[in-house]
Amino acid sequence: MSIVYKRPEVFTDEYKKYCGGCGHGIINRLIGEIMEEENLVDKAVLIWPIGCSVYADKYFKTDSICALHGRAPAVGTGVKRSCPEDLVVVYQGDGDMVSEGMAEIMHAGIRGEKFTVVFVNNSIYGMTGGQMAPTTLMDQVTTTTPYGRKDENTGHPVNMAEIISGLNGCYYSERVTVNSPANIRKTKAAIKKAFKYQMEGKGLSFVEVLSPCPTGWKVKPLQALKWIDDVVTKQYPLGVFKDCGQEEK
Amino acid sequence: MGDKVFMQGNEAFAEAAIRSGCKFFFGYPITPSSEIPEYYAKKAPSEGLTFIQAETEVSAFNMVAGVAATGKRGMTATSGPGFSLGCEAMSYMSAAGLPSVIVDCMRPGPADGEILGSQGDYNQLTKGGGHGDYNTIVLAPYSVQEYADFAPLAFDLAEKYRNPVVVASDGTIAKMMENVEFPEKIAPKGRSDWACDGINGRDHYNDITTCGDGPEQWEKYNLNLQSKYTKIRENEQRWEEIQTDDADILIVAFGSLSRVCLTAMRIARENGIKVGIIRPITLWPFPVKAFEKFADKDVKYFVTELNAGQMVNDVKLAVNDNKKVEFYGRLGGITPTPVELYKKLCELYK
Amino acid sequence: MKSELIFSGIGGQGTILMGKMACTAASKKGYNVTLSPAYGQEKRGGRASCQVVISEEIGSPIISEADTVLVMDEKSLKDYEGKVKSGGTLVINSSMISTKATRKDIKVVEIPFTEIATKVATAKSANMVALGAVVKSLDIITLDDAKEVLKIKMKPALVDANIKALEAGYNFVK
Repeated sequence: MSIVYKRPEVFTDEYKKYCGGCGHGIINRLIGEIMEEENLVDKAVLIWPIGCSVYADKYFKTDSICALHGRAPAVGTGVKRSCPEDLVVVYQGDGDMVSEGMAEIMHAGIRGEKFTVVFVNNSIYGMTGGQMAPTTLMDQVTTTTPYGRKDENTGHPVNMAEIISGLNGCYYSERVTVNSPANIRKTKAAIKKAFKYQMEGKGLSFVEVLSPCPTGWKVKPLQALKWIDDVVTKQYPLGVFKDCGQEEK
Repeated sequence: MGDKVFMQGNEAFAEAAIRSGCKFFFGYPITPSSEIPEYYAKKAPSEGLTFIQAETEVSAFNMVAGVAATGKRGMTATSGPGFSLGCEAMSYMSAAGLPSVIVDCMRPGPADGEILGSQGDYNQLTKGGGHGDYNTIVLAPYSVQEYADFAPLAFDLAEKYRNPVVVASDGTIAKMMENVEFPEKIAPKGRSDWACDGINGRDHYNDITTCGDGPEQWEKYNLNLQSKYTKIRENEQRWEEIQTDDADILIVAFGSLSRVCLTAMRIARENGIKVGIIRPITLWPFPVKAFEKFADKDVKYFVTELNAGQMVNDVKLAVNDNKKVEFYGRLGGITPTPVELYKKLCELYK
Repeated sequence: MKSELIFSGIGGQGTILMGKMACTAASKKGYNVTLSPAYGQEKRGGRASCQVVISEEIGSPIISEADTVLVMDEKSLKDYEGKVKSGGTLVINSSMISTKATRKDIKVVEIPFTEIATKVATAKSANMVALGAVVKSLDIITLDDAKEVLKIKMKPALVDANIKALEAGYNFVK
């Protein structure tokens, strides 16, 4: 009997503290699989945010740094400048990146830092209990928008993959999601491409992953997956916004 | 050691830091610290340095944290307004055990304030500044030579204790020009066993985090930090005593103002008043040991600072309220002249 | 031996350069030297002054009373006349300052720096005329010391003219 599917070796035995139906576990796994397949475990420094993935440093047998809220791109800048040969992955949620750390991510892009950003967008603050994020959709109900997000008070959702793609320092920017096996495969391909560009010494590679948060959204896991298709992708269309590698060919 | 060079304080510090093997500088321009980033930027190509002008001090401090996490020497330089922003990262680097060097060229606050010499950041630097129970070693230079000497010392202490070290200069020491002698360049050190620079053949992986895993675990983590601070308090108190043996009055002053006190002391002695000086060199750990040998002597203390009275509280604790402790301070960026200090001393102890 | 000097003027008049040259001359002779500059917040036309302490032992960079004060403009005279030590020297740039010094307990030297500089070199050398006049008041630095520094610090093409200016300032003071 041959094994066709197994736990990545790079995972530790630590129990993963993610809710049922959450996308973080899938995205973590994809990162692990790619690092193993591409022989990058030995070279990896993973930089984690404050948010639901704050304990992810415990899940990988790689070097890991857990940064302060929003600061992962700044810490990543220090790490990548110090160790340009390493695979530096800056992993951030939407509250971490788009609210607290907007300056850090924008300027990492402006400088064209040569690391990979995996941006997990679930349009809500998961860890702190379901508050509004800058990425929260219009009319979406959260604990701090109990009557739905309204334009006049909070403005509009922020499309990071598009914004980052507009910076000269960005080499690659794509938005993907993990709500179906086909989409998970596309996500894996996107992250793999981002890592490849990084190891070739290209500029910032940015992958935004639309991720389900059934707990924060207060829906069942399957409804959350459907909601991504029906609602979330209307605000955040999937696709490649910039791929300088493609343009070179 | 080479020849003496007539050089500005900030530039001398930057040169000494480069010679100490600090190849990474991240900073945001602010008076009176900007000559340090400018010096790094200028020397970057010829010395193989990495210099980044960060978008904010928040980022600059966190970039330093990133380099420190890889086990290499990195630093930033700022002044009070920038240090306030950096305090978040000071708390982080302290908790995470990241050896880094931060220069605070103090200027008078609060808020934007002025740009001349001040010692108004004493409390912020020595009592934490950011959140939580942490301490950073604070070195206060009083000459351009000492400023330069503190670059290698700061990195050595930072690495010895895996703790951030602050070099607290001010608008006067930063801009002042004096003769300085530099040490030879040191060779870069090898990898650190604890650092996150990629496994790259190491037999274990490393994890740097400041996220607690339950109150019991986090209390233990905090107690470990506290025992490190106890060790630093025992081993690293530094101070200088000047003509203290026969003194009736001991001036306590640090940094640029202690230079003014040297001349004030000479004026006092010419006028028959036996004055000596205790000059704290480490502001944290505060040199309480310096005060022990005067416990049984009949001495009075005159504390002077370029602030409204901050270190004076540490002096009062050090002498257990058993001695008379008078304070005189100037604010706003004004440094008193030696004659002004001498007159104040006479007035307080007539 | 100890000398405390203040040079004060407007940005562009070379006050800091004069201070640096005095320091270099003195440190070549083995003295401790400290120069503390002070600039105004404005980028052009602001205050530019420095305090220079030359001594055998390390001491205060801040001067209570100076042995010699050089003032290059009206405001500097107003600000620093009071900082001259009794018996000390106040050197006034009479090319730019029409106000008279009021103190009687100090030596007041009025020199038209610009006019003298124009005569022996060009107006740009006015600060070297000033430095020559300051050096005259000092025991710690001689005219030859100042010339040596000038030769090191200046482009070769400028040395001769500036030495003439330096000498002219030195010799103007009786």
